[in-house]
Amino acid sequence: MLRRLPLCVLLSALSGCHSGGAGTTTTTSSPLCATDPGPAPLRRITRFEYGHALADLTGVDPSIAQNLPPDEETMDFDDIATVYSVSSLHAERYLEAAEQAAAALVANAPLLAAFGSCDPTAGDAGCVAAFTGAFGRRAWRRALTGDEQQAMLQLYAATAAPGPADGVQGVVAAMLQAPQFLYRPEPALDGYALATRLAFMLTAAPPDETLLQAAERGDLATESGLLAQTDRLLAAGRAADLFVHFASEWWEVEGIDTIDKNRSLLRNWTDDTPAALATETSMFLADAWNSGPTLASLLTAPVTFADASLASYYGLPAPAGTGYQRIALDPTRAAGMLTQGAFLAVHAKADQTSPVLRGKFVRAQLFCHPPPPPPPTVVVAPPVVDPRLPTRQRFAQHTADPFCASCHEYMDPIGFAFEHMDATGVWRDTDADQPVDATGSLTDTDVDGDLDGIPSLATKLAGSAQVASCAATQWFRYAFGRSEQTGGDLCTIAALAATLSAPGGDFKQMVRQTVRMAEFRNLPPESQP
Amino acid sequence: MKRLSRRTVLRGLGGAAIALPFLEAMRPRRARAGTSPRRFVVMFSANGTLPAWTPTGTELDFTLSPILSPLAPHQGDLVIVQGLLQQGGGGDGHQNGISGMLTGTPLNPGPFAGVGAPPAGWATGPSVDQRIAEALAAPTPFRSLELGVQVGAADDWGRMIYRAANQPLPPTDDPVAVYDTIFSDLHTDPTVLARERARHKSILDAVGAEYTRIGGQISSADKQRLDQHLTAIREIETRLTTSLVENNPACADPAVPPVSAQSNDSFPAVGAIQMDLLTMALACDLTRVASLQWSRSVSQVRFTWLGISDGHHDLSHRSDSDTDAVSKLTQINGWYAQQMAGLIARLKATPDAGGGTLFDNTLVLWCNELAKGNTHSRQDAPYVLAGTGGGPLVTGRYLDFEGQGLAHNNLLLSILNAMDIPDTTFGQASWCSGPLAGFV
Repeated sequence: MLRRLPLCVLLSALSGCHSGGAGTTTTTSSPLCATDPGPAPLRRITRFEYGHALADLTGVDPSIAQNLPPDEETMDFDDIATVYSVSSLHAERYLEAAEQAAAALVANAPLLAAFGSCDPTAGDAGCVAAFTGAFGRRAWRRALTGDEQQAMLQLYAATAAPGPADGVQGVVAAMLQAPQFLYRPEPALDGYALATRLAFMLTAAPPDETLLQAAERGDLATESGLLAQTDRLLAAGRAADLFVHFASEWWEVEGIDTIDKNRSLLRNWTDDTPAALATETSMFLADAWNSGPTLASLLTAPVTFADASLASYYGLPAPAGTGYQRIALDPTRAAGMLTQGAFLAVHAKADQTSPVLRGKFVRAQLFCHPPPPPPPTVVVAPPVVDPRLPTRQRFAQHTADPFCASCHEYMDPIGFAFEHMDATGVWRDTDADQPVDATGSLTDTDVDGDLDGIPSLATKLAGSAQVASCAATQWFRYAFGRSEQTGGDLCTIAALAATLSAPGGDFKQMVRQTVRMAEFRNLPPESQP
Repeated sequence: MKRLSRRTVLRGLGGAAIALPFLEAMRPRRARAGTSPRRFVVMFSANGTLPAWTPTGTELDFTLSPILSPLAPHQGDLVIVQGLLQQGGGGDGHQNGISGMLTGTPLNPGPFAGVGAPPAGWATGPSVDQRIAEALAAPTPFRSLELGVQVGAADDWGRMIYRAANQPLPPTDDPVAVYDTIFSDLHTDPTVLARERARHKSILDAVGAEYTRIGGQISSADKQRLDQHLTAIREIETRLTTSLVENNPACADPAVPPVSAQSNDSFPAVGAIQMDLLTMALACDLTRVASLQWSRSVSQVRFTWLGISDGHHDLSHRSDSDTDAVSKLTQINGWYAQQMAGLIARLKATPDAGGGTLFDNTLVLWCNELAKGNTHSRQDAPYVLAGTGGGPLVTGRYLDFEGQGLAHNNLLLSILNAMDIPDTTFGQASWCSGPLAGFV
């Protein structure tokens, strides 16, 4: 019937490994969950990472990555290594972006000076060599080998016309297309490789100078050295961007950019709405990160961000001050991400709400138990419905017909709790001229019970061990770029979930705990060449 | 100095059908022999069609259904094929439908989780257009051109063209990006262009050497991925050393009017521009193999310009007895037939370098990932071909293979044969029993 196995496996894995609690007070130094590690497939940097990397290295705007073909998305994440594909379109766009970024760097004297004490564009051979080594160390996240250095200097000679700046530009452009930059090869998990893992996980970019030096000193070989760098990067501003990116993919709100609504029925929706809702959710998530990202705050905090225009969209009073401001919401109506307009609009149809989509999201993304598929014999041909009826009555057949009910009883009763929020994410008191009925129920979970409105659901989710485990699973998938597959993976997820749900635990603690895991600090045996 | 202005108005292109006398349009036609390049174009539309799409009548004397009626001006140029099972495997019906549609192969296992099926990866063989590109080995700057209209995310519901197993080719759905990629050389000073190309060649040579170097340091599975990237780099390098032979007076720098590429209501406008660009890419002999992917499988485009506000996929799941849905789906599929007619009209209106029009040497295939949306059935999937591709195919025919238990692999093989490629099987061998009897 329902797929309950993963949780059982998780719980038994938890009892068999050292979870280490919240991670801040532990003295354990050997990596956790070292038995039966999962694979470490070759990862390609994502568009999100590519933009940040080029911004850090060459000063261009991260939006340069928008010209690349979109990343493959599986399990809702953009960084799952086993499905990325390459075409000549990719190669073409990498070439264009690299040339553009290289030209920007060569024209940016202050940034260029970060890669050496002399100006390579003046053409001095020693200076060009020093720049090549220094830029390569940052972009390729390690010292260049002699052969690599020589190959790049040969390219300099071939492209230094009409002037030396063209050669420098050529070298930078090549380095930004090389596998040492675009991919994350790990022939060994030495200090450089650990620094790269840490930097991409916490900053979506190559290591900064401080982290590279720590790697070169051997600091990352010890847990305390690794955690010192982790804490430094967790406190930096980029970590919030990373959390926003991760949580946006997890909550499937990245799709808001392409959402449109039937504007003859939903008149508040305009061309500007998707961007405003995206801004709101990004600010909510960044604020959650900065003020203590507990699972409960993510699910229940009755706050959001809005400017005067978005406040009017929601029917709220305009906030004091200009621009987007943090505003307190009615806790009987609002609950964290669950009432964000972007989340509600994505999980709805163009002209109506969707208890199915909303209920399915809760099952699949918050409990990690996707609804069971319809039997193979079912003909998915729903009956004609009367659009004048309220949503609940139109969905009545899902429960009246036992065939439909076998699936829909798993989704719809959760989705009904969202009924006060229309397809644009705005509160409504009536639906088809009848008072909204937002009662529902949660079944087959560790927090079963009746629901009435989103806050009642949010409170239950925030207290669920299954939801905490699922949140850890989502982070595992994003952080390691793959699905959970082995006993070591399940042990790791259990340890992460324990950290998240421990008293005082939050997403920051869970991210920090990640670097203590054997799967972060070791390579699986079979991946050694 | 610019030889061609970006503002140049498309000559003879506008989608207007050539008004052929009715009887002329109805008559079966054979190809003109010629030396012009031979070409293949695929068009995709989503979510299946309705059983009523098929013509009535016999092979040579048939009447088009209301859905296909926009193709009436070109009836003598069509080959309509019905009664085949569009084979596919792995993943859900939409997933394996669009993936098997042109490859004739099942999906690998992988992490793309569909509905009611084990999660799947990418298709396990090349698509038929890529086999044609390989066999033609044309000296064109682009081996093939993948265009789309609002194709959505990069997953196996949105990919139909495969260079090889596990190598989907992403369609470009922004006309400005398409223009910049394929036409920018047309108006670059030749001296500047030569210098840029030499420079890019040096850079890509150096980059390619690094892929070989790193490939030697990692596991063999990971090395395969870097090898794919190296192949992609080599294709770009080949392009840099291939000169555009501009011997067709019809080759002009096309105009790209501003359009919001991802906005639902600009779907028709974006498609029209992409068809203009595709036609001009053929006229300029930039490529001889091209595809146009309208949306993606499970398309939720809302055909508001037809007065339809429902998402297409939602509509396609409604009951056969739902007259509102049937009427709307008839309109939607008819609209796609109209686009197919527009593509044919563009090809017919554009002179070819060796005489005649582009259409005389082009074979166009219109296909769909499903036969029927509300059952996800792939039995009796709709195939409409147009043109001869300059080969032996006889057009003006309706071929019904119903009840013979044949898979569409046979059609894909027959298409290769129609392009004078003497292959004897295509895709998953167990699904292919040979070319369709009487097709060529």
